[in-house]
Amino acid sequence: MNVQTPHSADATTVEEGLARVEAQAEAPFDSKAATDLAMQNTLLTPRFYTTDFDELDAIDVTPVRADWDKLIDQMRSDPNKGHFKKNADWDQIDWEGMEPELKAEFIDFLVSSCTAEFSGCVLYKEMKRRGTNADIKELFSYMSRDEARHAGFINDALREAGVAVNLGFLTREKKYTYFRPKFIYYATYLSEKIGYARYITIYRHLEKNPEHRFHPIFKWFKEWCNDEFSHGEAFALLMKTDPKITESLTSRLWIRFFLTAVYSTMWVRDHARPRFHEALGVDIDWYDQEVFRKTSEIARQIFPVELDIDHPAWRKNLDRMNAAFLAMDRARAQGGVGGWFGRMTAGARAARAFAGLYLIPVKRNEVPDHPRLEPAY
Amino acid sequence: MGLFTRTTETAPCTVEIVHKFEELSAHVRLDNGAVIHPGDSVLVHGAPVMAPWGETVVEQRTATITRASAIERAWTRLTGDLEFMELCEFSFSEEATLRHGEARA
Repeated sequence: MNVQTPHSADATTVEEGLARVEAQAEAPFDSKAATDLAMQNTLLTPRFYTTDFDELDAIDVTPVRADWDKLIDQMRSDPNKGHFKKNADWDQIDWEGMEPELKAEFIDFLVSSCTAEFSGCVLYKEMKRRGTNADIKELFSYMSRDEARHAGFINDALREAGVAVNLGFLTREKKYTYFRPKFIYYATYLSEKIGYARYITIYRHLEKNPEHRFHPIFKWFKEWCNDEFSHGEAFALLMKTDPKITESLTSRLWIRFFLTAVYSTMWVRDHARPRFHEALGVDIDWYDQEVFRKTSEIARQIFPVELDIDHPAWRKNLDRMNAAFLAMDRARAQGGVGGWFGRMTAGARAARAFAGLYLIPVKRNEVPDHPRLEPAY
Repeated sequence: MGLFTRTTETAPCTVEIVHKFEELSAHVRLDNGAVIHPGDSVLVHGAPVMAPWGETVVEQRTATITRASAIERAWTRLTGDLEFMELCEFSFSEEATLRHGEARA
């Protein structure tokens, strides 16, 4: 990267930074040259979903109309429009000097966050485009807008680190998988709420321990996660339109399944980034339990069941799950017959750990008549 | 749609990419109103598309839609739900151990 256009983040003053942003906007060839330089390429690989659009269109928000209109008004006013801008708080980062392991884990964190925002954007836009129900279309247009904005912000942080996103997936064959609407609600509700809990927990921790804030992006987490929070609110209201979505026996079993799968995946993934969490001064076990606790408290607004994360079998099986996944990686690296056998054994261990988590008795919860919440952490 | 056989068809499509600070997004729209069903695949013809930094690119292209066989469609409907984990921020890499220092390509 020897002829890169000066990036706004390299500016020493705000004025200079703004001047560079303007210069970049006026000089597409220079900025194109910068993008084309030998930046490390990272391929975004979003999933493509299709769903039962007729069922989605048949949703009637009348039972929650008052809450719905208030939420949509708030999203329409776009309170975070001005938030995702770099200002004097965006400190310069010495990427070259960053310890390589931390850099790799942090970039992985940014790439996975960017891909998730991107996937959400694709899914929501598709739902907006295919629908005919005006309420649903309006909701998904705002959510798609927010996700694209978040993805742009993370993308800029990646560019600073010399990582360019590659959208090569567009011209590759894409297989569309199927997701029934009810599962879209559970999964996206949870991913938005857990996203909120993850961001706000890091933000509050760094407020108290600013010496661990090794990148300025964390300063933006508070307003950012309020978007995630309100997206989750919209899904809570959608689920509230029909009691069957959450209250029937099979729904309760599915919700329990989704909670277990999402929490245990997060546990395994976070434990794969030890240097990242160490640099933040965060104990991973504490952090994950804290995120589960906040998410579970919030989810009482709509889910009639809650996982018992203080049960003695909970942590034990999470650790088993993590050990099984590590064994799976080792077996994959080993290859051959031994590797195949190792993968099968590790898979069985992971399945057993999952069953152990799933079968922990859940707590029942009386869901309130009006689910709406405001971010409070 | 056969029980076991796939069919293909082509459709005009619009690819739109926004590569800006305030937005990163990419969408493919089938312009003839073709509907994608579970298990179908879509291939957009031509060279990879990318908008330069700070720009929006809209291109008209042709896409081939490979329709899934009835069996595939049914199978995707049954199992697709289990891929929901992809929507969560923390679940994209397959490995539980990150390989440090390797370029992700």
